[in-house]
Amino acid sequence: MPEDSGKKLTMVTCSAPVNIAVIKYWGKRDEELILPINSSLSVTLHQDQLKTTTTVACSRSFQEDRIWLNGKEEDITQPRLQSCLREIRRLARKRRSDGEADVDAAGLSHKVHICSVNNFPTAAGLASSAAGYACLVYTLSRVMGVEGELSVVSRQGSGSACRSMYGGFVQWIMGQQGDGKDSLAQQVEPETHWPELRVLVLVHRADSVVPARMKEMIEAVHKRDFTAFAELTMKDSNQFHATCLDTYPPIFYLNDVSRRVINLVHRYNRHYRETKVAYTFDAGPNAVIYTLQQNVEEFVQVVKHFFPPETNGGQFLKGLPVAPTTLSEELKQAIGMEPMVKGICYIISTKAGPGPRVVEDPSEHLLGSDGLPKESA
Amino acid sequence: MPEDSGNKLTMVTCSAPVNIAVIKYWGKRDEELILPINSSLSVTLHQDQLKTTTTVACSRSFQEDRIWLNGKEEDITQPRLQSCLREIRRLARKRRSDGEVDVDTAGLSHKVHICSVNNFPTAAGLASSAAGYACLVYTLSRVMGVEGELSVVSRQGSGSACRSMYGGFVQWIMGEQGDGKDSLAQQVEPETHWPELRVLVLVVSAERKPVGSTSGMQTSVETSSLLKHRADSVVPARMKEMIEAVHKRDFTAFAELTMKDSNQFHATCLDTYPPIFYLNDVSRRVINLVHRYNRHYRETKVAYTFDAGPNAVIYTLQQNVEEFVQVVKHFFPPEINGGQFLKGLPVAPTTLSEELKQAIGMEPMVKGISYIISTKAGPGPRVMEDPSEHLLGSDGLPKESA
Repeated sequence: MPEDSGKKLTMVTCSAPVNIAVIKYWGKRDEELILPINSSLSVTLHQDQLKTTTTVACSRSFQEDRIWLNGKEEDITQPRLQSCLREIRRLARKRRSDGEADVDAAGLSHKVHICSVNNFPTAAGLASSAAGYACLVYTLSRVMGVEGELSVVSRQGSGSACRSMYGGFVQWIMGQQGDGKDSLAQQVEPETHWPELRVLVLVHRADSVVPARMKEMIEAVHKRDFTAFAELTMKDSNQFHATCLDTYPPIFYLNDVSRRVINLVHRYNRHYRETKVAYTFDAGPNAVIYTLQQNVEEFVQVVKHFFPPETNGGQFLKGLPVAPTTLSEELKQAIGMEPMVKGICYIISTKAGPGPRVVEDPSEHLLGSDGLPKESA
Repeated sequence: MPEDSGNKLTMVTCSAPVNIAVIKYWGKRDEELILPINSSLSVTLHQDQLKTTTTVACSRSFQEDRIWLNGKEEDITQPRLQSCLREIRRLARKRRSDGEVDVDTAGLSHKVHICSVNNFPTAAGLASSAAGYACLVYTLSRVMGVEGELSVVSRQGSGSACRSMYGGFVQWIMGEQGDGKDSLAQQVEPETHWPELRVLVLVVSAERKPVGSTSGMQTSVETSSLLKHRADSVVPARMKEMIEAVHKRDFTAFAELTMKDSNQFHATCLDTYPPIFYLNDVSRRVINLVHRYNRHYRETKVAYTFDAGPNAVIYTLQQNVEEFVQVVKHFFPPEINGGQFLKGLPVAPTTLSEELKQAIGMEPMVKGISYIISTKAGPGPRVMEDPSEHLLGSDGLPKESA
């Protein structure tokens, strides 16, 4: 419920998830509307480990729209932000003119103050724009009373943001229309569908040819076929990065640490003659590992062994608890790589999670009753 | 002339060049005959800087064929070596039976001793198999009196070896026939055609490369859809454009095609399952360096290409060599006691403007590059007349410190 502090200030706080594509989106057919050249599919990660939290305050007394991201005021005129604001307001006006009179008309002509924080590093390839825009759009929709299909709005902020509008396993259907109305996200399976699936995000020190595969991936998700899911994920990641390399000038997101992680996974799987672990890399060197619950303890230990953390580097393992275990000599030898100290800064252990939600607890608001960021928000 | 020491020993020594592809070969349609899925084109480098030297001795008194590579005796039964020996002997017999009686019949039924050395590191992506097999085949042909089309023979030792049979700019026509008789090399232009073209080999490390080319390209053919697209749809047009760029000495076109093809080759390796990485962080920095350098001048002055290893080969025109070598030295400062950093053709030192250094704006990476070989396009294989160059003694065994 929007909070009214008596200063005719409406305030809503929400949180939204990160998603990691297993069939990647790369390439637009329309820059302005952000329409992709291929469909894509992702896993929504759990907000207990990774999320964006956004507070939107709306008041007659605000002179202009303003936005603060991770403690710093940013340029509200940025086109993608403007697209989202404009679209939500248009949908809100449409709703009002459609005669849905019970809509709280707050926000329709009033300016908004937006404050957003991530609980993870921004711009390090951890899909922060997806969570960010999804949260922005979701929160604005709660403030302005807009219901229904929202992924087309968040898509215009950042393509992959549309997939963060749902939990579990989500596809972004590329669509055909020029106006982009059919380019939207759809849940393939909820987060409860595959409880054994686990996700490890290996955070790096702090710096086409697609979807015949979509069909195969959707089927793998439906059937909980980890081998198929994993192989498609790895192949798609490699193909994405191959495409980046085939660009002129070429784009490199993978570095020596990323390559070592890739080799580690292939050797680990080869040792067991089974695809137990999969990697995927987005536009940055952080690795995202997919595996089943029963493999988490050993694989975390493998990562720790071959990428030993800094001695005073702080907590190496964050998120869902993972019990320590010992590795057999046989396994270490089968992998046979030189350990690389400080190659990985820390690991976030997580799993699939739900879509955006309203944060009910008023102490979570990032803006004060004056509409400005709270100290240390 | 084959040397006859009186022990009825025939001995010939030749040298053959390395070649660096600008349109790359990666992927076979026939493993045994080494027939490629696409054509390729290379520049033959000058033997004054890089070469393989091979001595073949032939004598009635030899019990069996033997081979020494870089000082070590190797397994003569290795299938590729056998292919070359068998093919050369077949051609020699054919020549005899065609009635060319003035042929010195040495070698036809006699065993051979082969000794070969490179003046550069083996198996580190410096095209050593190309020079090696080209030299072997060429030297055997001199010993056994075989003339004519030899690239089909060296091709069967190592695909890219066929391109080392000629100097200058060479294409390997992929061919269509199942028997591989039309899959051969052809000179596009001689080494004298483009005298301003210069080559810098940036040796990143002399380590062995992680995945050998033969198995690597086989896995790529089996698993990469990008490779199929490349072979079917991209390379044929690129070959045409590249040949034209060479004919016209159009450096901009030559350079851009070279860089794009190198990147596509490595993209294909990444698109393989499991993926193959030949580029490392140093290679990527070199790539970035080249793009920033070109961008600063708003002109494609320098091109890079990488084979199946992290060593960079830089193509540029003579007028840019001094500055670019200095740029490399600045951003990849050599080890203080690392030995001679610049080898090959002399390059005068020069100073870089602050403006250029800032435009490039990269952190220097110490010891990223071991040394630079400065060279240019050069001729095909040749006989070495000087008897002191023989790597085998009159006993048919490697000379000490050969």
